[in-house]
This record gives sequence, C-alpha cells and structure tokens, in this order.
Amino acid sequence: MLEGLRAAATGMTAQQRNMDSLSNDIANVNTSGYKHERTSFRDLVATQTGLGGAQGITAGAGAAAGSAGRAWGQGALRITDQPLDVAIQGDGFLQVKRADGSTALTRNGSLQIDARGRVRTPDGALLQPPVTVPAGVSPDEVKISADGTLVAQGRPIGRMTLVSVAAPHELQDAGNGVYTTTAASGRPRAAGADTTLAQGALEASNVDLGDAMVDMMAAQRGFQMASQAVRTQDQMLSIANGIKQ
Amino acid sequence: MERGLYIAASGMLTEQVRQDLISHDLANASTPGYKADRVTTKSFGDLMLSNTQTGQPIGALGLGARIESQVTDLTPGPLRETGVPTDFAVEGEGFFSVRSSGGVRYTRDGQFQTSSNGTLVTAAGDEVLGPKGQPIKVGADGTVAASEVGVTKLTTAKREGDNLFSGAPSGAGPGTVRVGALEGSAVDPITTMVDMLGSLRAFEAGQRVITTIDSTLAKATNQVGTI
Repeated sequence: MLEGLRAAATGMTAQQRNMDSLSNDIANVNTSGYKHERTSFRDLVATQTGLGGAQGITAGAGAAAGSAGRAWGQGALRITDQPLDVAIQGDGFLQVKRADGSTALTRNGSLQIDARGRVRTPDGALLQPPVTVPAGVSPDEVKISADGTLVAQGRPIGRMTLVSVAAPHELQDAGNGVYTTTAASGRPRAAGADTTLAQGALEASNVDLGDAMVDMMAAQRGFQMASQAVRTQDQMLSIANGIKQ
Repeated sequence: MERGLYIAASGMLTEQVRQDLISHDLANASTPGYKADRVTTKSFGDLMLSNTQTGQPIGALGLGARIESQVTDLTPGPLRETGVPTDFAVEGEGFFSVRSSGGVRYTRDGQFQTSSNGTLVTAAGDEVLGPKGQPIKVGADGTVAASEVGVTKLTTAKREGDNLFSGAPSGAGPGTVRVGALEGSAVDPITTMVDMLGSLRAFEAGQRVITTIDSTLAKATNQVGTI
C-alpha cells in the first residue's frame, strides 16, 4: 500500500525538479550565451506486488528526474556594435583563466579590457591564452576576424582561441555562464573550422519562452496528477482504517 | 458467512495493486517513451456448491479475485520535436538497443548524448547500438544519421526500470527513426484518472461489504436468543 503512496510522491519530486530547471531557463531568457537546461525522466525499478497480484505481477516505484545537460543549439545573434563583444557561431567556447587560476569555458562573449590592457570577461576571468590590447590602442580600433585574430592599427595583436569538448553535457556548471571540464566531458581541444566569431554582437539566450511556458504547464499538470494519486492513496488508507468501526 | 469477509478483502487487495500501478503511471507522465501496463483481474477457482442432503448442485461460488496477468501496452506515445540533434524517436513500433551493464536492453527513450569517446550513449551512459549491434559514432558536426541507429522488434517486452525493457529480439522493427524528436509518455491522463477513481470506489465498496458482514455477524453473536 505505502509503495503506491511513495511512487506517486516520487512523481511530484520529479516534476518539482523539472520545474526548477524551467524556472532557471525563464529567468535567463535575456542572459547572453545562456543554454537551456534539459531534464531527463526515468521510471524506477518494478518489484513484485502484494497479495492482490499473482506471482510475476510487478508495480514500479515511480519516476526520477535528472539532468540531461544543456541544449547547445545556437542562440540568435544580437548586434551591440561594441568592439569587444563577440558571438560564437557554431560549437565551441572561449577559454578563460579564472581568478583562482583554474581554466574554464564560456560562451558569453561580452568582453572588456582591464587597466593593463588584458582582455577579460565581466567577472574578471582573463582569456586563455592571454590577449593584450597594447597601450595607446583604443578598443574601437580593434578588429576581430571570424577566426579570432585581433588586428589593431594594421598589426595583429593576438588571437582568441576557440575550443570544444567531446561531451559538452558532462561539463560542470560553475555559474555566470562559465563551465569547467570534467573527466567525462574530455579535455578542451581546438574547435572545428566552422566555428567562427562575430564581432560587435552577442549570442542571445537559446531559451524559447513559448516552449518553456508550455513545458511549465505540462510540469504543473504532471505535478497535479501525481498529487491526486497521493490523495487517492491516502483516501484508500483511510477507507481501510474504517473497516474497524 | 466468514467466507464473504475474505472474498471482499481479496477484492480490496486487488484494487490496492491496481492503485499502485496507476500511481506509477501518473508519476511517469513526463517520462520519454514510457509505456503503461494493462492488467486483468481473474477470480480464483470457483467452488461448486451442492445441497448436502440431496446432492443437487446449487451453483458456483467465487472465492475472490486477484490480478492475474500484466501486459505492457506498447502503443506509441506522441512525438515531440525538440530540435536537439542527439534526440531520437521511433516512429511506429520497435525499440532502440542499448548495451547496459546487464547485457543488451531495449528502450523507447531516445534522449541520448555524446560520450567523451564520441559514441552515442543514453542518459545513464549505456552505449546505443546500431543496426548490426555496433556502437554508434557521432559525426564531427555532432549529428547522427537516422539510418545509423538500430530499431529492434521485441516479442516479449518486460519492463526493467530506468526506461529499459528486456525481451527476445526478432529482427529489425517496422518503426523508423526520427532525429530531433522525442516520444512523450504514453500515459493517457484522462483514462488513468478515471481508472483511479473507479478503483477507489471499488475499494470502498469492498470495505462496505466487510463492514456489513461484520454487523451481521455482530447481530448473530449478540442478538440471537435475546427476547
């Protein structure tokens, strides 16, 4: 009896987790380089039922939700005309070195230069390998070509390296649109030639608000159905208790 | 008279099992490729009653019911476009084959990923198999052609949990592979909710039978012989 109650409750937990990812997506509908989260569901193992079923009749233990990584589909390009804004087109990431010395990956190309002319992300991570805009060169003079080469006053001053990993869904989310590699994701390697940079633009979030809203409604109804099952199971327990008057 | 108590109780136990299955179905309303089970109830062997003095047969008496058989309803669920190149759905009948730790298993959940060595794997990390049972290499552009993914027909699909089925394969399935789509859960909310209510009322009726027999017994034990 309580198995059914628990199975229904796992359904509520799974939908709750789905809803958490969807809320996160909707909150990041305007975040540059954001990729929407994907939730996977699975049914839980089935075991022999109680006295009401013959040998071999099994009932499952409910559902569980987990992360299925992110959908890495290309976001739309938003033209900003800022010379240090770059949008990645195709699979790949910019490689950055964070303040704690670790290397990380990001698709948020809203770049800046610090006091020493080094190109960095808004949260202070420097591009890796480093790119420095020489003193006396204004950011407006910097031209970034599709392959990442930076040219200022007619001279090349550095190159932004684009990398990719074999299994991007295994990247660990470090917040702020920054990801760190794991053993399962594979090490960063040079991105393919069809991955290019567009200067003066940012990649918009790939969250489709319409899809997210529909998914949210489905999650809400799924949650309601599971909670009705909990209620019914509860009513049955109450009826069973009513046998003894 | 006591026999009636046990017959009613067996009905309640059967409805309990049915509710457990319904709870599992409703919990999996969002599980890709989920298939609900259909169960049939059967009465226990009937007793032939006969008049003890004349031997004249009176008729059959059931001894209650229980769930006797369970079949997974493999009717395809609705397909939904996701646009993700590593999402697959079987259009029509058939299963994807995966190599799990316990051997080859089958699934309708096509939410796959690329592993670090470039093969197509399930969310649990099991390799997805091609038509000849080989692992599938994901192309450099992150895509896999529909023809590279195998579809297998199963004769006896048995649910194993984790969206996997075991069974005896019998050749390539009639279904075709769709890339960039997922099969939704085949749980029909309306039918399932109606079944849930019906089962609840049947359970309640069983309880009423028990309480009625109980009050009859109470009368028999306490009131027979009183003036």
